[in-house]
Amino acid sequence: MTNNGKMQSVTLRVLRYNPEVDQKQHFQEFQVEYTADTTILDALHQIKAEQDGSLTFRRSCRHAICGSCAMNVNGKNILVCKTPLRTQLDRKNRVTIRPLPFLPVIKDLVVDRSAFWEEYQRVRPWLIAPPEAPEKEFRMTPEEVEALHNAETCIMCGACYSSCQVVALNKKYIGPHALLKAFMRVMDPRDTEPGERLDEVSGSDGVFRCHTIFNCIDACPKGLNPTEAIETLRKLVQKRQAFVAARQERQKTLLPVESSTAPAAAD
Amino acid sequence: MYTSTGFISFFLRRLTGVALVFYLALHLWVIGSANAGPEVFDARLNAVQTPIFKLAEIALLAAVVYHAFDGIRLLIVHYFKVTEYRKSLFYAAFAISAILTIAGGIPILLFMLEGL
Amino acid sequence: MRIFQLQRYSAIALLVFLTIHMIVVHYPPFHIDFSRIVERMAQPLWKAIDIAFLFAVLVHALTGAYMVLTDLENIHRYRRALAWAAILVGLFAFYYGTVTILAFQPPA
Repeated sequence: MTNNGKMQSVTLRVLRYNPEVDQKQHFQEFQVEYTADTTILDALHQIKAEQDGSLTFRRSCRHAICGSCAMNVNGKNILVCKTPLRTQLDRKNRVTIRPLPFLPVIKDLVVDRSAFWEEYQRVRPWLIAPPEAPEKEFRMTPEEVEALHNAETCIMCGACYSSCQVVALNKKYIGPHALLKAFMRVMDPRDTEPGERLDEVSGSDGVFRCHTIFNCIDACPKGLNPTEAIETLRKLVQKRQAFVAARQERQKTLLPVESSTAPAAAD
Repeated sequence: MYTSTGFISFFLRRLTGVALVFYLALHLWVIGSANAGPEVFDARLNAVQTPIFKLAEIALLAAVVYHAFDGIRLLIVHYFKVTEYRKSLFYAAFAISAILTIAGGIPILLFMLEGL
Repeated sequence: MRIFQLQRYSAIALLVFLTIHMIVVHYPPFHIDFSRIVERMAQPLWKAIDIAFLFAVLVHALTGAYMVLTDLENIHRYRRALAWAAILVGLFAFYYGTVTILAFQPPA
């Protein structure tokens, strides 16, 4: 980078809202100095520290793993902590920052994500393992592990959920994040209730409510693919019986042969 | 608002879909006059073959063709793992429907101008 | 799921039917009248094709309209009533359309 270390100036337009004072949201402009290394989150910190201490936003880890700082920058949902400011300048040398769309705003850039978490809880995102756990580990094939890879790196930032127009129309829709989790658990060979999970997502606000808009893929900061997961779930829902039968068959071979692997010298 | 090619495709799909439902009702009403005999049918059919309706017919063609190719695109997305090419697929569907609308629209337009 | 499947399968049927419809009905000259239609419709096979076409169109249109409306949270609550309304509308339209198709008889 040629301008590395060199200070430049940029206008940040932040959509602000203080429920105690404001009737509605309004833009406020801030001038910020930045270098090639400055992230948008750094710039927001700079404003909060030097210009306006009342600016409110969520952030925690600052390296794209906690999922707190998803915001709408120039109309796209991104994680501000991992996005350099210089990549987001528009033609007028400005950056426009809004809270996540389609969700109730609490203050400034902080939104109410209760609906997001409720839908997450609804698909029971935890593993429902077989009653007898092995001494060491379940035996999964590399292909089975690979299939889960799409879903397991999700950081629950809400970028996909709040970019989804179906969510905008109907908050009862389960949402791409939770459907991705459901997909992960359905595909997991250790899970004992794939049939019940498929029933949950096949309802009138589940996978068939998705209109294949692809915003979730575009928005995901981790490069995950909720649309593909939803399409896969659609296929599995339509052959539920065969899938459940295959799972039951699979689970017979999931436990390693206890007598040969378990240490017999314990007693 | 969250604009993207995906949203545009969804919006157009909705718009053409809803328009086609209304057209279907109109179509049933017009063709349904055949129950009252050939004379009534021809009279009502002539009423909807004026230049204004011919122009509307081109819009109808555009709506049908776009809705069809958007549907084919969704079938492709469902049956093959091609979400990576989502933007190209949308552009392709849009381009094909635009070409077919023009190809089909020109004869209709010529016929309409002839009738003037 | 059933609505999704109905919509998918009717969509695939429509791709075929609409192509046929476009080719056999709308060719130059574009002026249409009763005698031109009845020429083709005198054959029972065309009547059968058109009735199947009508059925696919109605299924696709009504499932589509149902999905558009139930996308809205306020209407989603009344989806059962809406589904019954769609079925009634569909039955009526199918009856009316079939009667119309059968009405295309060459004048005796």
